Amino acid sequence: MIIDESLCTRCTECVAYCPVQAIHIHKAEKRVQVSLDECVECGVCLRAQVCPTGALQQQPLSWPRTIRSALSDPLVVHPETRIPGRGTEEMKTNDVTGRYRVGRVGLALEMGRPGAGAGFRDIQRVAQKMATLGVTFEPLNPVTKMMSDPTAGTFPREILGERVLSAIIEFDLPVAQLPQAIQAAREVAQEIDTVFSLDICALVHGNEKLPLPDLIRQQGLEPSLNGKTNVGLGRPIFDFALAAEGQVS
Amino acid sequence: MTHTLHRSGSRESLQDDYIVFAMSAKGMNERGSAPKLQEFLKMALKYNPTNYGDMKTGNSLVKSDAQLMDGVQDVSIVHAVFHDTDTVAALLNDLARADLGVSVVVSGLTDEAAQCCHHAHLEPHTVEYSLGIWGKTELLPEPAIRDVTTMCGHGQVSAGLVQRLVKQIKRGKLTCEQAADLLAKPCVCGVFNRKRAAALLQRMVES
Repeated sequence: MIIDESLCTRCTECVAYCPVQAIHIHKAEKRVQVSLDECVECGVCLRAQVCPTGALQQQPLSWPRTIRSALSDPLVVHPETRIPGRGTEEMKTNDVTGRYRVGRVGLALEMGRPGAGAGFRDIQRVAQKMATLGVTFEPLNPVTKMMSDPTAGTFPREILGERVLSAIIEFDLPVAQLPQAIQAAREVAQEIDTVFSLDICALVHGNEKLPLPDLIRQQGLEPSLNGKTNVGLGRPIFDFALAAEGQVS
Repeated sequence: MTHTLHRSGSRESLQDDYIVFAMSAKGMNERGSAPKLQEFLKMALKYNPTNYGDMKTGNSLVKSDAQLMDGVQDVSIVHAVFHDTDTVAALLNDLARADLGVSVVVSGLTDEAAQCCHHAHLEPHTVEYSLGIWGKTELLPEPAIRDVTTMCGHGQVSAGLVQRLVKQIKRGKLTCEQAADLLAKPCVCGVFNRKRAAALLQRMVES
């Protein structure tokens, strides 16, 4: 996003709307300017329609800056996942897809959330750490699709300078491997210049011997009071029993 | 992983915060799902949600009901926000009877969501929890502000806007409800809970 200084009246109405504080008021120079390093191209300021003169303008974006809007603007649909925004269907359609199965848990580290934003160097740092566990990153996740080597959690050099509002590193793993994943998250959290929100999901049916909240507490963590519950109304329902017997791929 | 997880707050505050949403699975039951998602939205609107919307079109504050309904596509994710479990349970009951075949998710207090399922003779299929915020948490605004901003999981509601509107409420320029509506607009999916936001703003103004 840019501000056309010839049109800007310095009303500063747009400033508060920026989720990453990328719009700066330079009082001495009597200028209001968007820092292109900090701006994640989410489009919030423009959609707010608070600029009275049209000074706030979306400049044409080219690769690799397009990554910013792809992961920060929920109205931008990723061409491969066809999901608006940075996410995937994950557990939301697990009743139909069978993505998370008996004996496994899904984990996601949402880099930059809430509201801090994240650079791809930090995103790569976390992905590399998780890759050491031998996990397979979710192939339908846009962040995985950006990786140059998904087995190592690395990204093309040209995107490492890019910054987004949030980006989700997503994978699933056997329940037995959860302690290593949590330990890896604890370690890498100390090495980054931003935050990530961590979440965990699992099938309820068939995992009842060790419910997810108990599994979480075994890791020394406390599950959130609130969460998401897929109520199993999707059709055709995935046959988890047949899958467990190896009769469904 | 998701736009409705990681909403922060006390149990008391989260008791007023439930989102019910529906979507189809890409490449599986996607084709022809738009009428089913429209039907979901119609059923949800009967219960007067505090906010609603579609990730493909926008939220109830910036789009009319007709625009939202007409905009529903096979790849839509349609949401409705409620502030009590009786309504959520009643909607789930309707949805179970309608058997639309699209996936339905309830986001909110998990024990209460399980009760809602029970009342509708449904069982939780897959559950997801937040395990909190890790890393440089000193970069974040204070928890009271996060309780508001995290109601937009795409991070479109800025902490700066919350702070500015709190000041305006204190000066008598806005009511908490008006400010809550201004905060709900940037959240394009319509998952921002206006009623809860007004209550949180009121608490900030009084503190």
